[in-house]
Amino acid sequence: MHTLYLTEAATGLDSLTWTIVAVGIGIVFLSLLIVYWFFRYVLTFILNFRLKSFARKKGIDPAEVLTVKTIQSGEVNAAIAMALYQYFNELHDVESGVVTIKRVSRHYSPWSSKLYNMKNL
Amino acid sequence: MLALLVITSLAWMAFVKPEQDRQQALADTGVVSSTAVTQYQPQDIQDIRNTQDGQFVGGLKQFWDYTGFRNATTGHLIMMLVGLFFIFLAIRYEYEPLLLVPIGTGILIGNIPFFADGGMNLQVGIYQQGSVLNYLYFGVMKGVYPPLIFLGIGAMTDFSSLISNPRLLLLGAAAQVGIFATFIGALLLGFNKPEAGAIGIIGGADGPTAIFLSSRLANGINVLSDGTTVKNLIGPIAIAAYSYMALVPVIQPPIMRLLTSRKERLIRMKPPRAVTKTEKILFPIFGLLLTCFISPSALPLLGMLFFGNILKESGVTKRLAETARTSLIDIVTILIGLTVGASTQADVFLTKESVMIFGLGAAAFAVATFSGVLFAKLMNLFLPDDNKINPLIGNSGVSAVPDSARVSEMEGLKADKTNHLLMHAMGPNVAGVIGSAIAAGILLSYLG
Repeated sequence: MHTLYLTEAATGLDSLTWTIVAVGIGIVFLSLLIVYWFFRYVLTFILNFRLKSFARKKGIDPAEVLTVKTIQSGEVNAAIAMALYQYFNELHDVESGVVTIKRVSRHYSPWSSKLYNMKNL
Repeated sequence: MLALLVITSLAWMAFVKPEQDRQQALADTGVVSSTAVTQYQPQDIQDIRNTQDGQFVGGLKQFWDYTGFRNATTGHLIMMLVGLFFIFLAIRYEYEPLLLVPIGTGILIGNIPFFADGGMNLQVGIYQQGSVLNYLYFGVMKGVYPPLIFLGIGAMTDFSSLISNPRLLLLGAAAQVGIFATFIGALLLGFNKPEAGAIGIIGGADGPTAIFLSSRLANGINVLSDGTTVKNLIGPIAIAAYSYMALVPVIQPPIMRLLTSRKERLIRMKPPRAVTKTEKILFPIFGLLLTCFISPSALPLLGMLFFGNILKESGVTKRLAETARTSLIDIVTILIGLTVGASTQADVFLTKESVMIFGLGAAAFAVATFSGVLFAKLMNLFLPDDNKINPLIGNSGVSAVPDSARVSEMEGLKADKTNHLLMHAMGPNVAGVIGSAIAAGILLSYLG
């Protein structure tokens, strides 16, 4: 059993209700807004900084690296992925079709020996 | 008739008589078994059995009293029809079959009538201590299953669309208005605050979150400071949440069409950019830190969600990620569906409160869809003409993954057969999962 301590009345609309509603909606928006800002600005800045420093080391124009990165759209990737998927899933359709019966010589094993089966114990 | 008599006699000899003999032997020897339960017999059976030749007839009557036919009530039959309807919806229309089949079967199992007169504990029912179902129900009562489900969801979720277009996160936040509107509605209908909080979370359209919060707030155990015990609303809330999640394709489209013009429905959004592996790895790590620092009460859900996603995106724990998104989530889904279904015993479920919860649940989904679509329109006021959001993805902030995103896609295709919105809608959809977990954490921190 756990006792819930509510300083105000447990039922009806009161100041606590409106506090919960206001804080609740505010915090949900604030949390996701912070994640948005982080990924929209901070992370983009960090990744671009890394790309620029990489470009400088290699002696490439940083602007060129950034352009190359952004022109590759998700649709292009989706098309490549679909092509690869279809290619690998259709591999089995190019089987030779030749059926061979290959005889396999079996080595002696006591596990399958008739001499040691249960009837002969 | 003769066959029935023979079967009944055999069943009595096979099951009832040995148990009676065992109890008698224990009583004669004075040994009391630690696992023995109090045996209760109605007075009329005792009277019959006290007569010289009444042993056989008394045994038959006792057997009859133990059958489901003898103990069935109208409530049991109604709930069984509900269970059958769920199974029908799942098989015939494929509405959330992975959930509705276990829940529907659970309703049938939970509503098999059994002898419980005089408080007798046969250790059969889900609310009877010591029964197998009661042990499995522990995972619901203590909120164990929902975080495990979130782990699996995290391991199967691709946040790419959200990372490529992070402003869609705000649509996931806007749809959570439904939670707080329903919270107010529940208070107006006379529920106390913890119960209203648990009911409100139906608006998040997230089954595991609804179960998690109701198991903490409206579990029939917690006591308010004025001495009132909160009601056990886990069953009605979970059933309402899952039912309306299955009905998303029915509830949302009329609201979406009502709030958008044809011109808005034709808006083409920019294709999402390619996302790097580094971004995919950093998203769950920073998402976890940023959201849980603000709302630590959501840690069990968000912690597991982002942990599952780290397993997926790290690329070095493929086996763990594979287990989390297949075997683990399947096992937990079976257990959670079955036990939640079985918890809807007619005497607990068929109440005035359940009817009100179902009404509030429908309103919650409508309000959430409404606020999501309206917020998308509001965002468009501030966005440049070449980078607008199609308001049809606003409904996807309701985190019924992936049904609400699928509704966006279908409605988008109705307006323009070449305008695919699914990838864009997945952004607010997964943001809705995060948003509803944060909202649950806030409600828990105030009311738990």
